[in-house]
Amino acid sequence: MTDSQDRYRRVGHGSAPILALERISKRYGALTALEDVSLTVNHGEVVCLIGPSGSGKSTLLRCANALETLEGGRILFQGREVRADDPKSARAVRQRMGMVFQNFELFPHLTVLRNVTIGSTTVLKLDSTAAERRARALLAKVGLSDKASAHPAALSGGQQQRVAIARALAMEPALMLFDEPTSALDPETVGEVLSVMKALADEGMTMVVVTHEMDFARRVGDWVVVFDKGRVIEEGPPKQIFETTTVARTREFLGHLGWHGESTLDAGAQISVAREDVDR
Amino acid sequence: MNLDWSVVWTNLPRFWDGALMTIWLSVVTMALAIPGGLVLAFMRLSRVRLVAKSATAFVEFFRATPLILQIYWTYYVLPAYFDIQLSQLTTAVVGLVCNISAFNSETFRAGIVSIRLGQWNAGRAIGMTDAQVMGRIVLPQAIMRVLPALASTWVSLFKDTSLVSIISVADLSYVALKIRTESFRIFEVLTAMAAIYWMMGYPQAKLVDWLHRRYKVAE
Amino acid sequence: MPSVVLSPITGSWQFLLQALWTTVVLSALSMALAFAIGVVVGALRTYGGRLLDFTLGFYVDSMRAIPLLVVLVWTFFAFPLVIGHSLNVMTAGVIGLGTHLGAYMAETIRAGLTSVRRGQMWAALALGMSRVQAIRTIILPQALVRMLPALGSLFVFAVKDSAIASVIAVPELLRQTQVVAGNTFRPFELYTAAMLVYFLLCFPVARGVDRIYRRLAHLGSS
Repeated sequence: MTDSQDRYRRVGHGSAPILALERISKRYGALTALEDVSLTVNHGEVVCLIGPSGSGKSTLLRCANALETLEGGRILFQGREVRADDPKSARAVRQRMGMVFQNFELFPHLTVLRNVTIGSTTVLKLDSTAAERRARALLAKVGLSDKASAHPAALSGGQQQRVAIARALAMEPALMLFDEPTSALDPETVGEVLSVMKALADEGMTMVVVTHEMDFARRVGDWVVVFDKGRVIEEGPPKQIFETTTVARTREFLGHLGWHGESTLDAGAQISVAREDVDR
Repeated sequence: MNLDWSVVWTNLPRFWDGALMTIWLSVVTMALAIPGGLVLAFMRLSRVRLVAKSATAFVEFFRATPLILQIYWTYYVLPAYFDIQLSQLTTAVVGLVCNISAFNSETFRAGIVSIRLGQWNAGRAIGMTDAQVMGRIVLPQAIMRVLPALASTWVSLFKDTSLVSIISVADLSYVALKIRTESFRIFEVLTAMAAIYWMMGYPQAKLVDWLHRRYKVAE
Repeated sequence: MPSVVLSPITGSWQFLLQALWTTVVLSALSMALAFAIGVVVGALRTYGGRLLDFTLGFYVDSMRAIPLLVVLVWTFFAFPLVIGHSLNVMTAGVIGLGTHLGAYMAETIRAGLTSVRRGQMWAALALGMSRVQAIRTIILPQALVRMLPALGSLFVFAVKDSAIASVIAVPELLRQTQVVAGNTFRPFELYTAAMLVYFLLCFPVARGVDRIYRRLAHLGSS
């Protein structure tokens, strides 16, 4: 792993990482979700976490966000330790990290606009006009200005997820966490969400994305971390992971997804994930 | 407030008789209200509109009016206006059975209806008659579903029997209130009454919870 | 069958109307008390940890075991001896009814709270809300929508149970009907009329709540 870090200069290198996981482990009773996991995320980097289902990726995000406690190791966010067991410091961390869930988790009893403003008003204590102004700007950014007064039930999955992204951005986070943001979407709507995420990345937002969209990881990711059974088995730039990997398990996993490396891609074969137009 | 619990101990036999009456009333009522509820449920599901409508009217009426009023009505109105002379005990049972049958019919009807149409079709596809499908496939499944609800109704019924005390049927409440007026030891007697009901009712409530957990419907 | 006469009802209509009002007030107040108890107990049982869940469970299960008649009689006759202060019938009625109903309310609310998806709590916490803020602004509103049918049937219980308050002489509808029936010797007309009034109070509520719920259900589905 150190090899790739030496040969390839990561985005944001040279200053302290914004998020550092040091040898963390997480257990649920007899089940080990994460074992001795270490990784770092730099400012402005887009880190993609890939791997089979159940390999611990989502758990890792929840630990980073202080939604879960650790059995071992520690997490540093902006230089300070994340303590999930201390409610006040946990809340402070979560205010500076935004999270987007696989199931969107919009608040169904609130309008779209209210979903986006509730964080600002309740937590940041912004006054309602300022909060609303910020919310409308964000809704415009994700392309949903016209849905401001609708309820989530009236929106498609892709639209709901874009609102969820706007809701997280309303808190002006330093880091955005995405937990399989497109896994619960119909294929037609996956593209609209990935476009929003790419635009965010282009603006320089630091992002950690758990995803099965390999095309996104390859084109938008700056650094890819491969998980299996709660451990990191490989990490490096996308080119290394997707084209020149020497780790058998990685190749096996990518093979399962129908990913056969550079040659197949160049041949223009339609890998399942390429239906969205990420380069728009 | 000085307490003298001896009034409770000396009257224990009478409390015991009252409790037995409470239990007897519950058992007899439920024994009659289960078939009663089944009959009403089938009537409501009948394709003959008059039958269905009258059963529904009966059920909705008994569910939407207070049991205590139903008991008074039965007690005062039947003898005076319909020339039916019933003992107080019989009146109490009649009132309770009508009421609980109405609630049971809802439980049974929901249970029967909840069995998926697919089960009906599967039975018919094998060549069973409707009666056979009902008897062998639908009803057994419906019974498993309704058992928890019936158990909850039983616990309610147990408490409802206390209302028969108002027409001087010698259940636990009547006995306890009588002892209170005789002895003037208000706190001790009333607390004992509550405690005896608690001792009988608490285990039943926990049993019902167990039943609900055990027979959780998994589709 | 002897004749049916309406004069006993029409003759005392103001008296009975006053009694009906008492029933409505009694039901409303006991629902309010039950709701307050139910929210606190239900929320504490859901979010408060094992010990609290067990202790409060004891209160809930005890109210399932003891008849309302017993609770009311105890509240009016025995409770004043404990606090050294007599209660008027209405107060005793509200306390007894509210405490008894509160247990069922608590169970309803607990079921409602636990039926909201876990992800909603995570999403709220992820925005930086405290648990209390999350429960208050996100979980509870959704739970209340889901509980609408159950709340409707609890209201029907409240109205029906208010009639039991007649045994401690609360001047509600049943009690006053008994008084008039005793004076006029016409129980059939009066008790039947009382039945109809209760029916008209309760039956539409159950139907109405169903209709309202169907309109609002999407606000509670996450």
